[in-house]
Amino acid sequence: MLKIENLHVAVDDGLKPILTGLSLEVPKGEVHAIMGPNGAGKSTLSYCLTGRDGYEVTDGTVTLDGEDLLEMEPEERAAAGVFLSFQYPLEIPGVPTMTFLKTALNAQRKARGEEEMKAPEFLKKSRALAAELKMKPEMLKRPLNVGFSGGEKKRMEIFQMMMLEPNFVVMDETDSGLDVDALRIVADGVNKLRSPDRGMLIITHYQRLLDYIVPDRVHVLANGGIAASGDADFAKTLEKEGYDKYAA
Amino acid sequence: MPLSASNLPTRRDEAWKWTDVSRAAAGDLRGAEAAAPVQIFVPQGVTVTRVDATPAANDTSLQKLALQYAGQIWAIEVPDGFTAEQPIQIEGLTQGHAQITLTLGTGAKVQLVEHYDGDANAFVNSHLNVKLSADAVLDRVTVQTDPEDCVRIATTHVTAWANAELVQHTLAFGGKLSRLETRFAGMGKAVKATMNGAYLLDAARHCDMTSYVDLACPDGLIRQSVKGVTADKSRGVFQGKFHVRRPAQHTDAEMRHDAMMLSDTSEIRSKPELEIYADDVACAHGNTIGALDESALFYMRQRGIPLAQARAMLTEAFLGSVFDTLDDEVMRESLLDKLRGWLKDD
Ligand SMILES: Nc1ncnc2c1ncn2[C@@H]1O[C@H](COP(=O)(O)OP(=O)(O)O)[C@@H](O)[C@H]1O
Ligand SMILES: [Mg+2]
Repeated sequence: MLKIENLHVAVDDGLKPILTGLSLEVPKGEVHAIMGPNGAGKSTLSYCLTGRDGYEVTDGTVTLDGEDLLEMEPEERAAAGVFLSFQYPLEIPGVPTMTFLKTALNAQRKARGEEEMKAPEFLKKSRALAAELKMKPEMLKRPLNVGFSGGEKKRMEIFQMMMLEPNFVVMDETDSGLDVDALRIVADGVNKLRSPDRGMLIITHYQRLLDYIVPDRVHVLANGGIAASGDADFAKTLEKEGYDKYAA
Repeated sequence: MPLSASNLPTRRDEAWKWTDVSRAAAGDLRGAEAAAPVQIFVPQGVTVTRVDATPAANDTSLQKLALQYAGQIWAIEVPDGFTAEQPIQIEGLTQGHAQITLTLGTGAKVQLVEHYDGDANAFVNSHLNVKLSADAVLDRVTVQTDPEDCVRIATTHVTAWANAELVQHTLAFGGKLSRLETRFAGMGKAVKATMNGAYLLDAARHCDMTSYVDLACPDGLIRQSVKGVTADKSRGVFQGKFHVRRPAQHTDAEMRHDAMMLSDTSEIRSKPELEIYADDVACAHGNTIGALDESALFYMRQRGIPLAQARAMLTEAFLGSVFDTLDDEVMRESLLDKLRGWLKDD
């Protein structure tokens, strides 16, 4: 279970508070959606969970299955099973996608004291998955995300997620920039990963993704914290009514 | 006469303003007044002889020193039309002065591999004069792995006649001071040159990659990409100049220097220059100095790659591209291995 308590996060060298007392619990096996106005701090939450520099936690706690996440380096959090699908995936020039992913997978395994995945198994798994996500095989040979379209980058995030099999997934606006076909492929991938021992936090601006990935709970992030929560239907209400009534 | 400001370039010489050799060479350096040991391995059919050196009016101070101490010239001759699987290898050059000439006959094609691995507290001053006859191709690979207290100046003059080609790849780790200088003169039409290099510097090492390309005939094609990284208190220097004379129409020349500072106590100096007198040419230069991309590093760490490994991967990817133009795959892999070795120890 991911447990966030009274989380305060500031940016700009700690001068600009963004989250001011956010509390949230995502039990294993559940998918929670976070919606909210632009600039509310949704991406800030995702960066804080993954340990990006510049997002200073001034108060509060975050634990995953009882382990203190905030004490860990970003790579330790990844090895503990936290995966972020970036709102804006980065380009890594000169590093072929397969090399990148194999290095990442085996670094995580090593950190967990597990055996490395050998090249043949890795190749087989990645080829099958690429086919399932309808990705061109050449994409895996190119430097990671370099020259990919916005939609291809998002698909690549899902590809990485499914290869790494994390136990807690944060998706930050993975739906933006996707056409309906791509959205369905991404949603199928996510739904396949739903399992009793995996939690998911899906940040989205639009309700349409939630037609494909039906969440257990929907939360509104506004004014530095969770301003309201509801079931899957709540997303439709929010889409209709907007976030005005949660504004400060 | 020991080495001093009176017989070495000084910082008052424009071409040496960032590479203070007279200061670095002050004191008692091994080989300062001696001939360098030289070993040359050649494929069958290539000859090596010793010939007397003669002074020329325009000799530089370093050439004068070589004339004084190096003894006879090592002369390597590659016959017309010669090709071989094995390279010419130059070893030794661990301290002292040397003069070497390499002549490729018409249409000859050969690889030259040089390994500069000097002695501790040594001074090395080597001059290599290469003549590429018409249609000759030289694939040159130079690796420099001197100790931290070695001063090395390696100067190469290449004269290229019609349709001749130089493909040069250099991997350098610097020293107390090292200057790897290539001066290329295109004397025939349609000469080609690839002049790529990477420098990786740590501690207080200094590495200077200087080049001068002088084109006097039409249709030349020049590609130069030098990349470097500097850590600790090291200093990297790049000086590149393309001189395109009036008859050298349709020259197509590109020069790039891209460097990354891995510490803010290191230094990078660069001076790319174009001097163009022909009017129908495509010449460009670019120069960037930056740091590793923090967002890319975070992205890699989020996927589980530890910080040091993420840094090494990004740095390797950045530098490694200068060897993409090296056709010899085994050689390319060996250069990349040396580069990785440095990144791992760092
Ligand atoms: N690294 C940063 N430095 C300065 N301000 C930031 C940084 N990251 C986010 N912000 C600011 O924090 C606020 C929340 O941003 P963000 O978390 O991206 O919102 P959302 O994802 O909900 O649209 C915005 O005002 C944004 O400008
Ligand atoms: Mg956002």
